[in-house]
Amino acid sequence: MSGYYTPEEAQDVFLKANEAYAREDYAAAQQGYEKLLSHGHGGPDVLYNLGTSHLARGDLGRAVLALEQAKKEGGRAPDLEANLAVARARQVDKVVGATAEEEFLPRVTAATDGTVVAWTFLGTWVAAFALVLLWRALRPGRRTAVGIMSALLFTVAVPSGLLLAAHAWVDETVHEAVVLAPTLVARELPQAGARSIFEVHAGLKVRLLEETGRFVRIRLPNGLEGWAEREGVAEI
Amino acid sequence: MRRTGSARGALLAVLALLATAPAWANDDLDFYQTVDREEVGSQDTFRLTVVVVDAPPNAQMQLPESDDFEVLSSSRSSQRSISLSGGGPAVIQDVTRYVLVMRANRAGRLKIPPSQITVRGKTYRTQPVELSVRTGRLGSPPSGSSGGSLPDPFASAPSQQRQDPFGEELDADEPTIPRGDSDLFLRASLDRDEVYVGEQVTLSLYIYSRVDLSSVDSVTMPKLEGFWTEEVESPTQLSGEQKIVDGIPYRAYLLRRRALFPVKPGTLSITAAEADITTGFLFAGHRVHRVSNALKVKVRPLPPGAPPGMANAQVGSWRLSMDVSQTRVELGQPVTVKVILEGVGNVKNVTPPKLTGPAALKIYDPTTTDKVAPQRNRVQGRRVVEYLVMPQRTGTFTLPALEFPYFDPREQSYEVARTDAVTITVEAGAGGVSALPSSPSHVADAANEQKNVLTAGGLRPVRYQAKFVAPSEPPWKRGFFVPAVLAPLGLLLGVALIGGVRGRLATRTEADRGRQQAKAARKRLAAAEKLQGGTNVGAFYAEVEKALHGFLEARLGVPVGGLTREVLAERLTAAGADAERRSRVLFVLEACDLGRYGGGGNPAERQKVMDTAMAAMEGWA
Repeated sequence: MSGYYTPEEAQDVFLKANEAYAREDYAAAQQGYEKLLSHGHGGPDVLYNLGTSHLARGDLGRAVLALEQAKKEGGRAPDLEANLAVARARQVDKVVGATAEEEFLPRVTAATDGTVVAWTFLGTWVAAFALVLLWRALRPGRRTAVGIMSALLFTVAVPSGLLLAAHAWVDETVHEAVVLAPTLVARELPQAGARSIFEVHAGLKVRLLEETGRFVRIRLPNGLEGWAEREGVAEI
Repeated sequence: MRRTGSARGALLAVLALLATAPAWANDDLDFYQTVDREEVGSQDTFRLTVVVVDAPPNAQMQLPESDDFEVLSSSRSSQRSISLSGGGPAVIQDVTRYVLVMRANRAGRLKIPPSQITVRGKTYRTQPVELSVRTGRLGSPPSGSSGGSLPDPFASAPSQQRQDPFGEELDADEPTIPRGDSDLFLRASLDRDEVYVGEQVTLSLYIYSRVDLSSVDSVTMPKLEGFWTEEVESPTQLSGEQKIVDGIPYRAYLLRRRALFPVKPGTLSITAAEADITTGFLFAGHRVHRVSNALKVKVRPLPPGAPPGMANAQVGSWRLSMDVSQTRVELGQPVTVKVILEGVGNVKNVTPPKLTGPAALKIYDPTTTDKVAPQRNRVQGRRVVEYLVMPQRTGTFTLPALEFPYFDPREQSYEVARTDAVTITVEAGAGGVSALPSSPSHVADAANEQKNVLTAGGLRPVRYQAKFVAPSEPPWKRGFFVPAVLAPLGLLLGVALIGGVRGRLATRTEADRGRQQAKAARKRLAAAEKLQGGTNVGAFYAEVEKALHGFLEARLGVPVGGLTREVLAERLTAAGADAERRSRVLFVLEACDLGRYGGGGNPAERQKVMDTAMAAMEGWA
């Protein structure tokens, strides 16, 4: 945690931003939440409130971005899902032919907390090996309980290790982003003058595939791909 | 029948008329000038009237001109009178009157130069007129004194500013014609200069013009700090009315009219308004910018002794009433209660008293509707606060009377508008239920549209508590993670490796030690061989014995110094030594014992012992 604010000061900034939101001064509320984030006092709650403030102001792109970041950090929550649903309902774009479900690994990783998985794997893995060493050191008659315990830990460690590998793979290869620009043109080639293929609008969630110069290749949930300007999207 | 009059009388009258002639046929000329007052202010206007009697039509009139005065307007009127007196001829008199509306350019004792008229080459002059000019404004001339004042043609027309619709006498605006912009100027005025806090004062913004207007391009209203304002009139088209300002006819065009309700006591300033005006028509028009006068209004605080619940906005004349849709209802049926506040005053800023009731009557949050209808420039209307009251059980319940205190500036006293209490009787419905179920669906059916509709489409509120988390890398990306995962594997492998090495090393050391001991034993035997030819027989045998002991310890792995011959033989047997080797060992040990204690001095004997010891050691790896 950053030392810029004490916990009391951070809480005070948070409450003042909430009060600004209550009196519909969304700009001041947004400023407060962003101040907390920029000084290392973030988290899913602050991101959720920031996204809700953006949504109240009508800034759909940044609202979806903050809410998706809150979801990524803190997982699903009823209020978060509800406001994301409101944001999606306000979106201009309707992606036709979108796959009903995400790919398996991203879906699995989205459903599990990577940090918990990582610590579970590490803990059980180290403990299991520690018990194996103990087993070696014990005389033959006293080894049974230790052996069973070690085997149990290995049965937890191995699946959690696989899940951790999935998290690491998704983290390295899957880059999701949100369209921030009111209108973003996707082109055939990463050139400003290239033929435009389609247009997307603020709030749409896309996947970033590669980057070259000031262009990124985006993919829509239905597989449509094109090159768009990097500044028009923000990675979640 | 006798006729009255006669043809002869009529003829005489005609002759008499023909005999008369205008006086200008003679050289007699009545020519003079007067002013309507002798003392004026530098901002006042006055009238100079030049009268000439019986001037011929070709007379050349020259009105007075002076740098000390400006002529705001001039007019000419003629009048012919015929007088018949006695039996003489009728006298016809032509009176020509020039009226100049003037204003002095400076203070002091000033002289208006004489007027001139030239008749048939002869010039007549009036007397100059002197008048005293003071700085500022002295006001209108005394009534009746201005013999030459123009009649106001609109004096009989109804004027909105002359009387307050509620009986209050209002200040009629008396604009001052600005110097330099006398043909077209902007005028802001208030209907009164002194009001109470919360009392209406009406601001009017007019264009006064003596030229044709094409359009008003923009109007910047003054800053109205310290006031709550309501639009009263904002014409979309220019519509002028005739007004006389200091005797000069103007067309006055209303631009804006606003009701101002001061919210604090003191002297409040109203800055000048501005407007861009296009005059003339089509291509001949040009645009001018005009700035109005600034205003001040003195706001008095409400007098002491205000009743409780009194607010500054509660000023005016108000009536309070309560309208209940029904006083006898079945349980589950809603009752609509309207609290209506109507009257004259700041309708949009007053708060009617809140409806309260017993717990058995659930009162929902109200909706407020306003209807403001300014009349005669006074803001008035009604504010209706509509409550939905839902009885929760049967019985008779009372909605208490409501009170609304206000200050009436006309009476200059505090008044209280009141309603009566309302009794509502709630009866059991058809099902005979005496209390509503907790489920809201029943209520929803009964209340229908009046219900507080709650949809799930709105935004969820923000979170009121936060757990702050610093941004961090996932655990598997931190430096310690991979080493921590690999460490147990490495540790296990290391332990296994070390165990194996240690086992192997242990085995190798035992054999080496045996070999080393055997080697040392053989070395010692070689040393004994050197003693074989010497005189010290005891030392020879002791060395041979030590060499053999060392060899046996290396082979058997245990010390053999304290063992009896039988035990030694057993150990040798267990170690795999054959009988011959055992007998040789025992023979050498016996011979050494004998030799050390004096026996075995014979060299051949010593050689035999030496050879037997060597034979015992040979071939036993």
